[in-house]
Amino acid sequence: MSCHKETILVAIVDDDDSVRGTLQELLRSAGFPSRAFESAEAFLGSGHQQETACLITDIRMPGMSGLELQARLNAERCKIPTIFITAHGDEEMRFQALRAGAVEFLPKPFDDEVLIESVRAALGR
Amino acid sequence: MNQIAMMKWANRPAKSMAGRYGLAIGSVAAALCISLALINFHVPQTFGAFALSAIAITFWYAGTAPGVLAAVLSSLVRDYLFEPNTSIESRLLFDLVFLIFALLMTRVAQVRNQLELRVAERTVELTRSNESLKREIVERSHAEYLTGQVFESSPDAVLIIGTDYRYKRVNPVHARNWGRPAESMVGMHMAELVGQEFFEQRLRPFLDRCFAGENVKFDDWFDNARGHRFIAATYSPLRSDSQQVVAALVIARDLTDHARASEALRLAQADLAHASRMTTMGELTASLAHEVNQPITAAVNGASTCVRWLTRDDPDVGEAREAALGVIRNAKRAADIINHIRSISKKGESKRQLADINELIREIVALLRNEAQRYSIVVRTDLDTNLPKIMADSVQVQQVMMNLIMNSIDAMKDVDPARELSIRSRCAEDGKLVVSVSDNGVGLPQHQVDQIFDAFFTTKPHGIGMGLRISRSIVESHGGRLWATNNSPRGASFYFTLPIPAETRE
Repeated sequence: MSCHKETILVAIVDDDDSVRGTLQELLRSAGFPSRAFESAEAFLGSGHQQETACLITDIRMPGMSGLELQARLNAERCKIPTIFITAHGDEEMRFQALRAGAVEFLPKPFDDEVLIESVRAALGR
Repeated sequence: MNQIAMMKWANRPAKSMAGRYGLAIGSVAAALCISLALINFHVPQTFGAFALSAIAITFWYAGTAPGVLAAVLSSLVRDYLFEPNTSIESRLLFDLVFLIFALLMTRVAQVRNQLELRVAERTVELTRSNESLKREIVERSHAEYLTGQVFESSPDAVLIIGTDYRYKRVNPVHARNWGRPAESMVGMHMAELVGQEFFEQRLRPFLDRCFAGENVKFDDWFDNARGHRFIAATYSPLRSDSQQVVAALVIARDLTDHARASEALRLAQADLAHASRMTTMGELTASLAHEVNQPITAAVNGASTCVRWLTRDDPDVGEAREAALGVIRNAKRAADIINHIRSISKKGESKRQLADINELIREIVALLRNEAQRYSIVVRTDLDTNLPKIMADSVQVQQVMMNLIMNSIDAMKDVDPARELSIRSRCAEDGKLVVSVSDNGVGLPQHQVDQIFDAFFTTKPHGIGMGLRISRSIVESHGGRLWATNNSPRGASFYFTLPIPAETRE
């Protein structure tokens, strides 16, 4: 299965309500529409991956992790530019993510400018 | 014994046969000599009178047979020495007089002997009862001496207090406790010694109960001349013959050393529990950091959003305000988590307050949620919302919960996925509530289900084996029970009960 990006939707996957919500608000203030999902499974099941131009995902979550989600999307030949945000990312994890094609690997809390720039880069603007 | 000897001598005054008959012959001879002497002084013949005296003396002192001999000798002497020429009738008359006198004296002597015998018997009885009386006096004074010794040498302070609250008697220990001579305290009002306020508030209520007939026991810290002391006291009513309480017997034992030792033990246990909590918190550092980092991230996002709305070409104050409110909310959430971590890490006195067990469970589950997530463990809570509040030390109860949940997480690390931890709260039958923590991990070691609660028992490579031991002491100190069972087909369940105080029962 492959996916065709028809829109410039940004998808957010994070199990923490407040992080997910505030991230969505931040993107809105920067002019990016987004959709938020509480888990990797919810995102995969939503059918929105085709229209997702940029994915922002937490790494450690109950169930499927962010890295597993990236691997799954890669396996499905649905390469979405991905930005990882994590509270405890080590160098090994960062290396693994970037090698798998991640756009950025940001430790929480992150600088909004850096994030917005990464999103812009992912969207090719 | 001297009296008895004299009595015997009075009965049988002359011991030997010769002595007794000698008295008969001698006394008649004496009567004869006195009569002959008096004849020389021209006094008429007086032998008869003296002879009767001799007979009487012989009967009295020498007995019947010598008396009869004296009578016969007197008759012969009179007949042949003084009246050789008188008629046979006259002689017989005098002989008859002596004979009657002898018989009379025999009877007198008998009565006297009986009387003396009775006196002797009575004397013996009296002597005996006198002796037993003396013995009783000696025994009683000995017992009194021992009682006095108990009072005087008791290692406890012993005192007797009258219903007027004045000291009737105090022992040396009490005198030493107050640093003044015992004599000076007798008659003194208690309030003068211990202070009016202390007396009214701390001693009088107990004394009044004692005077009302009750045995009263209490212990407390008191200040006396020896410093701040822990005293265990008993007040016992002392009653008169009419059963009226007339005084209180006070026995006060100084248990300061015991109290200090048990206080030190309590502190050591609190230190150990704290150390164990800190160890667990140390293991949780990564998860706790993550837990705090989430709201901080959200707050930073909110603040960034706020700035963005304000620095646009056309600033949107309404959006900025919403974002700022979110910052406040998330910063508070971060502070709450930190406060909760701090309250668990705090080393403090055990404080029991009314607590909602479900709230305690929710807080600890929130704190450990991330730790469970790390190992892909699904945490389910099934809490009975109608549970009454309990009287408990929240930090300690959460420490028990934390130990049980951490153990469950450890038990599930190496099993297949579908790891599930479930926490339930329920009302138990016997006025207690029960909390259970169940997992589907490796389960408890076979045949060692009870040993897991022993100190230093551990199956973990880095464990010190104190967690369950401490948890059990905490639960037991709250009046509850902690136990474990294996689940089927796999995993273990831990249960603990906590009593519901009567006032919160519905």
